[in-house]
Amino acid sequence: MTNKERYQRAFSTLHASDDHVLEVSAMKQTEKIRFNKLVAVCAVLVLVLGLASISYAADIGGIRRSIQLWIHGDQTDAILEVESGHYSLTYEDADGNVRHQSGGGVAFGPDGKERPVTEEEILEQLNSPDVVYNEDGTVWVYYFNQKIEITDKFDDQGVCYVQLKDGEGVLYMTIKNQSGYSISRHNYPNPISFN
Amino acid sequence: MRLSVAEAFQRYGDRLFAAAFSLCRNQMDADDAVQDALIKYLTLGLDYTDETHIKAWLLRVTINCAKNISSSFWRKNTVAWEEHMDELAFEAPEDHRLFEAVMRLPQKYRVVIHLFYNEEYSIREIAEILRCREGTVKSQLSRGRKLLKKMLMEEWNDDE
Repeated sequence: MTNKERYQRAFSTLHASDDHVLEVSAMKQTEKIRFNKLVAVCAVLVLVLGLASISYAADIGGIRRSIQLWIHGDQTDAILEVESGHYSLTYEDADGNVRHQSGGGVAFGPDGKERPVTEEEILEQLNSPDVVYNEDGTVWVYYFNQKIEITDKFDDQGVCYVQLKDGEGVLYMTIKNQSGYSISRHNYPNPISFN
Repeated sequence: MRLSVAEAFQRYGDRLFAAAFSLCRNQMDADDAVQDALIKYLTLGLDYTDETHIKAWLLRVTINCAKNISSSFWRKNTVAWEEHMDELAFEAPEDHRLFEAVMRLPQKYRVVIHLFYNEEYSIREIAEILRCREGTVKSQLSRGRKLLKKMLMEEWNDDE
C-alpha cells in the first residue's frame, strides 16, 4: 500500500457534519410558516445558524446594525453585519466575554434557483427558538425571555413537544433529540415530517 | 459552469471538511469553515471552468476560512482534536496512528501534506491553491514527510 492510499484510507473516516442538513430541515419547516405569504419563494433555507432572538433593531448606518437580542434568556446588545446573505454578530455574553457568531443562508425558489437570504430573513432565523444541548447532559429551549429545560421530556422515540408563547400566540414545537426541530402556529409538527 | 450549493456540498463536502479538519483539528471549526466557504461560493456567484476548478476553488477558500477561524482571537470551539479521535472509526490501527501523526505536524506542513496525499495535487497545483511559491510547498512537503517518517517509522514508506 502506498503512502497516498494509506493516507486516503485514514482520512476517509472524516465526514462533514450533517448538522447543516438537520438545521436545514428545521428551517425548512420554520420558513413554511413564516414565509407562506411569499408565493414565489419555496421555503428552503440552508446554512443559517442562529442562537439568539432579536427583540429590537435600529440602523446605525449601512449594513451594520445595533440590535438587542436574547441569548439563553438574557437580553444583550449586539452588532449585526449583513452582506450578501452572510451575517456576523458580535456581542458580550453574561460573563462579559466578547462573542462572535456568523453564518448565512440561501433560499431555493420553486424553479430550483438559489438566492442569498435577505437581512429580514436572517433576522427571522435569528429570532427562532434555540435548542441547546449542554455538556452536563441537560437540554434547554430558549425563546426570547423564555427558557425551558426539556432534558427529561423526551419520549421513547427521543421526541419532545413544547409550547412557547409570544405576541402572536402559541408556537407549537416538536424537537427530536440531537436531530433538529420543527415549529408551527397550528399544531405540533409530526416528527416524521422533518429531518 | 456552476454547481448548486447542495450539489457542491454533496460532491466535495467530505473533502472540504477533511482539509479544514487537517488545518484546525477541530470538528466544529472545520464545519464552520466548510459552511463559510459554501456561503462565499453562493454569494460570489463566480463562473468556473469545470468541476476541477470548482473543487480547487472550494478547497482554497475552505482552507483560508479554516486559517481565519484557527487564528481568531476568540475561538468559540476549543475541543481538542484528541477528543474527536474516539468518534472516528478507522479501518486499521495503523490508520489511527497515521491520522494522529499528521495531527501532530505543524499546521503549515499539515495542509501541504493533506493536499498532496489526500487530494493528490501536484506541487505546482498546491502552490496555486495556497497562493505560495512552489519552492515553499516542496520544502514544507519534504519536512512534513521527514517528520511523519520519524513518528511512523516503518509504517511510512519512502515512496512519494
